[in-house]
Amino acid sequence: MKKTRGSTPTALDAVDPKRRLRNVALTLGALALGALALYLLEGIGSSKLTQALALCAIWGIATVSLNQINGTLGILSLGHHGFMLIGGYTTGLLTLSEASRRNIVNSARSTMTEDTLALSMTNLFNSLGLTGLTTPETEWVRFVVAVLFGGILAAVVGLIVGFPSLRLRGDYLAIVTFGFGEIIRLSASTRIFSPLTNGALGFSGLNSDFGKSVWWTFGFLAITVFVISKIKYSSYGRAMQAIREDEVAAEAMGVNLAYHKVLGFVISAFFAGIAGGLWVSWLAGVRLEYFLFSLTFFFLVAISAGGTGSITGVLLGTALVVFVRQYGDPLEETYSLQTWLYIASAVLGIAAVAAAAFRTFRRLRPRWNPSVWVPAALAVVGVVMASLDPAFLDGTFRGFGMRAIFLSVLLIVIMIFRPEGIVGRAEFSWGRLFGDDRSQPTDEERRQDAWLSNPELNKSAAVDDASRRLPEGGA
Amino acid sequence: MSVASHGSTRRSRRWLPYVVLGGLLILIVLRMSYLMGLEGRFNGAFFVRALIDSVKLGSLYALIALGYTMVYGIIRLINFAHGEVFMVGAFATYFLFTVTPYGWVSALLFAAVLAFGVNRLVALFRTSPRDPVTLGATGVSFVALFFLLQAGTWPFWAALIGSMLATGVLGVTIERVAYQPLRTAPRNSLLITAIAVSFLLQNLGLLTLTNRQTPFRPETGLLNAVQLPIGEQVVQTNALFVGIPLLTLVLVLVLHNFVTRSRLGRAMRAAAQDAETAQMMGVSVNKVIATTFFIGSILAAAGGAMWGLNFGSLNQPAILGILPGIKAFAAAVIGGIGSLPGAVIGAVVIGFSESFLTALFPRTADFQGITEFKDTFAFVLLIIVLLIKPSGIVGEDLSEKV
Amino acid sequence: MALLEVKGISKSFGGLMATRDVSFEVNQGEIVSIIGPNGAGKSTLFNLITGVYRPDAGQITFEGASVVGLKPNQIVDRGIARTFQNLRLFTNLTVLENVLVSQHHKQRTTLLSSILRLPGYRKQEREAREIAAEKLAFFGPRLLSFRLNQPVLVLSYANRRRTEMARAMATGAKLLLLDEPSAGMNPKETAEITQIIRRMRDEGGYTIVLVEHKMNLVGEISDRVIVLDYGVKIAEGNYRDVVNDPKVIEAYLGKRDEDGSSAAGRADGAAL
Repeated sequence: MKKTRGSTPTALDAVDPKRRLRNVALTLGALALGALALYLLEGIGSSKLTQALALCAIWGIATVSLNQINGTLGILSLGHHGFMLIGGYTTGLLTLSEASRRNIVNSARSTMTEDTLALSMTNLFNSLGLTGLTTPETEWVRFVVAVLFGGILAAVVGLIVGFPSLRLRGDYLAIVTFGFGEIIRLSASTRIFSPLTNGALGFSGLNSDFGKSVWWTFGFLAITVFVISKIKYSSYGRAMQAIREDEVAAEAMGVNLAYHKVLGFVISAFFAGIAGGLWVSWLAGVRLEYFLFSLTFFFLVAISAGGTGSITGVLLGTALVVFVRQYGDPLEETYSLQTWLYIASAVLGIAAVAAAAFRTFRRLRPRWNPSVWVPAALAVVGVVMASLDPAFLDGTFRGFGMRAIFLSVLLIVIMIFRPEGIVGRAEFSWGRLFGDDRSQPTDEERRQDAWLSNPELNKSAAVDDASRRLPEGGA
Repeated sequence: MSVASHGSTRRSRRWLPYVVLGGLLILIVLRMSYLMGLEGRFNGAFFVRALIDSVKLGSLYALIALGYTMVYGIIRLINFAHGEVFMVGAFATYFLFTVTPYGWVSALLFAAVLAFGVNRLVALFRTSPRDPVTLGATGVSFVALFFLLQAGTWPFWAALIGSMLATGVLGVTIERVAYQPLRTAPRNSLLITAIAVSFLLQNLGLLTLTNRQTPFRPETGLLNAVQLPIGEQVVQTNALFVGIPLLTLVLVLVLHNFVTRSRLGRAMRAAAQDAETAQMMGVSVNKVIATTFFIGSILAAAGGAMWGLNFGSLNQPAILGILPGIKAFAAAVIGGIGSLPGAVIGAVVIGFSESFLTALFPRTADFQGITEFKDTFAFVLLIIVLLIKPSGIVGEDLSEKV
Repeated sequence: MALLEVKGISKSFGGLMATRDVSFEVNQGEIVSIIGPNGAGKSTLFNLITGVYRPDAGQITFEGASVVGLKPNQIVDRGIARTFQNLRLFTNLTVLENVLVSQHHKQRTTLLSSILRLPGYRKQEREAREIAAEKLAFFGPRLLSFRLNQPVLVLSYANRRRTEMARAMATGAKLLLLDEPSAGMNPKETAEITQIIRRMRDEGGYTIVLVEHKMNLVGEISDRVIVLDYGVKIAEGNYRDVVNDPKVIEAYLGKRDEDGSSAAGRADGAAL
């Protein structure tokens, strides 16, 4: 919120123009710095780092758009992977390379028809007479339009998914969105859609290098963050937040629930579709397995860990989840059982220490309750057993799925101890950095507060002389 | 939707469900006779087999659905993790009849878990988990189980019971660790946590159990072949066609008895109606909730074991529990979430529609059949029911008051 | 023509008749109070007028047009706004945001223009803030200083009530339904809110219908008083007449027995 406190009680200017200029300049400067950092990282870093960065951007788009519903509107939506699927397949089909199309036609098991395979950006532009846009130099145009198409199609489906939100609340609505996500995924492989999706086989050989480029992905991310944050701090965003806070009161204050809820879904689905298109371009192929519910689960972890309702928080959470996904490989190696026992004991020990710290911090008594000594005892037992190296600990064990386990445990811990996420609702803004927005009273104001409210001291607070009269009749 | 008209519309449309049901039955009979008229395998035996499958499937879904509906009735939580509890039950049974005898370490751990389960089970009927009878039973069973687990291969019935106890313990633990701290939290947080627990269990299963499809073929009389003569045809099936519905019936009756007659059951019903007031009347809400999870998990485990028997194998842990979980939840909603008979009714509906519907539109020369839509169908049905009549067939309307 | 006309509305929930054949009118610029014992159906009446419930029977017209069957946000568009008995503020939003949300329905700019922050949108925002300031100023400077950007959850109870009233005023409604505006306020705050309500009518031009329990407030500012009991209107008129109406006394205090004693009096006697 870039607002300043007025110096007089009734001054309510949104942002002082000088400050706004400063903010814009700072944002541009930060973007430039970010671009420089990206350039350096891309040059120096490994391909793994580049992949991590691109993934941060793509998943960032998905989480920021999911936050539009979960955080701003307060509706738990679990079908985001469905929207991404639609965007992904649309973009994929439109940007499939000629060579790949011919391969699919010739392949025996493919379910795609000549007609569906004719759906390409090139053909589309040709049929519209825009032959200038079918050259190799203008490939980026075709890429961008294909991604946007994916978003639009996803938005249309978002419109449909939004309607149940008018009748259902809370848990039931969450289940319905989950249902829609799964219906989209399951029906994509059935014969209704397999001409378009090639069923369980999927297809690969997408034509573009843009997906693998951090510049394009971060570009889209910047646009997404811009649009979503502008909406959040606009009148529409306030209306959506009001719906989150108290739907009945919002409706009683003139907010059209239906319109805003569906609008939220449409916007969210649009950007999810874009994220899907970018995701597919990055992977250079489309398969149903890319769009499982686990994707939405990772987004949930990102949002909850980072900070529901805050775009900054959500992006931080996304970075965390991507980091675990990309760099968590060591967790999934094969180690000896003894090593695993050491690791498990270490984790339990940390948990015990964290629990003790938490209880001390929050001044909870007694300090040594089961949440502290149970993990501690187990850790000690584990370490002892491991160092004895008994026979039954021979053997190795592969940490299959450890990253997912780590993230699930993280989510549970966050939900219990800090459900608002690391950052909570706080949003980064230049104003906050420079201390513009002071919603806490200064000392002067505190001293004045009594004066402010007390009509005896402050004439302008005296609404009427009559207010000094004692009430008549019984109280 | 505002809290608009009740009374009048409901009264005037009471005949509607019967008309719909009658119409559906007529359509089904017509379709059946059409199919039987066609040449081929769509004879009486075919439909009887479909009927048997429906009954079995309905019973299995009922066992899972009861867990969903009981938990929702008490704490208004859709326990996303219940499908995974079902999965654990299935695998626990597998490991009890396949991997036994255990080494002493595993026997120790497992005996501890099972003894804890016995403790909770006996505590259902006694006043406290710490009273002498319960403690005695716990101790005795711990020692006994420690030796039994190393003694030899366990028979199926023992594996079933052991798995039920162990899964019950799992359910109670999940509730205690993940849901109880969130008792006062907003509902969204609780739902997200349930999703996290579900995901965690799936991956723990992948990690510790297996990541492949597992054959499930214990030695049990339930798998004995049975031949049912239908007119001149013979239906080949096994004893499960009686075993599964029978087990379900027995468990449901025991549950019903427990909930209506016992003290704790009464407390559960009170807490489901109004937890706060129940607490003020001396009901220990924590104990009631723990019991609810325990019973729900026991039933799910039974369902898991029977599921394995029925299909002869178990999908890998990250997959096994998902679809049955969703379908059982749909069943609970369709029947009326919060209502026990509703869960059973809904499960029968889902079981029938899944099996019988596939039988009514089978694969023929010119029709590809509808099996590939089977799972989508469950989701679609769930959404339709939630949109049209969220209170389900039996249920009460749990909407908000201004 | 009266601003608001309520004719013969009835509403029942299951078997309970919450409102039975209630009729009254409110003219432009009046302050009308609705009183009655608890459970008399006063909040239900507000819910019926604002579209939360749909009446089983009867008519409600506002400025000559029927409002029955409209959704609550449509009724706000028509010009009726309300406050809630148990306070329903947007707790995590700031005071300013609360008062801005209620103006959203009046806004004419598109989503696109708000994303791009076009001049039309900026102008609208400025005007909205001015209106917010104007409405909050009814309550003195206390809500306009640093409190403006504080989330409502840190405000005192009385300040929350004031914010909710300002929020309702900011909707641009002509008719305000205030549900127990002075609930939880001490006598000084009550006296202040009484004067503010009068100023709302005098300076702000609002027509006001109040549900109240505090008779001094009711007597001080009402042009007319309507009494409900068990969902039925049992009296209407100016304050003095209504307060002395035997039916009203009976509703609040119970019936006098034939020998002239009351249950209250007998209890006193027994205690002696």
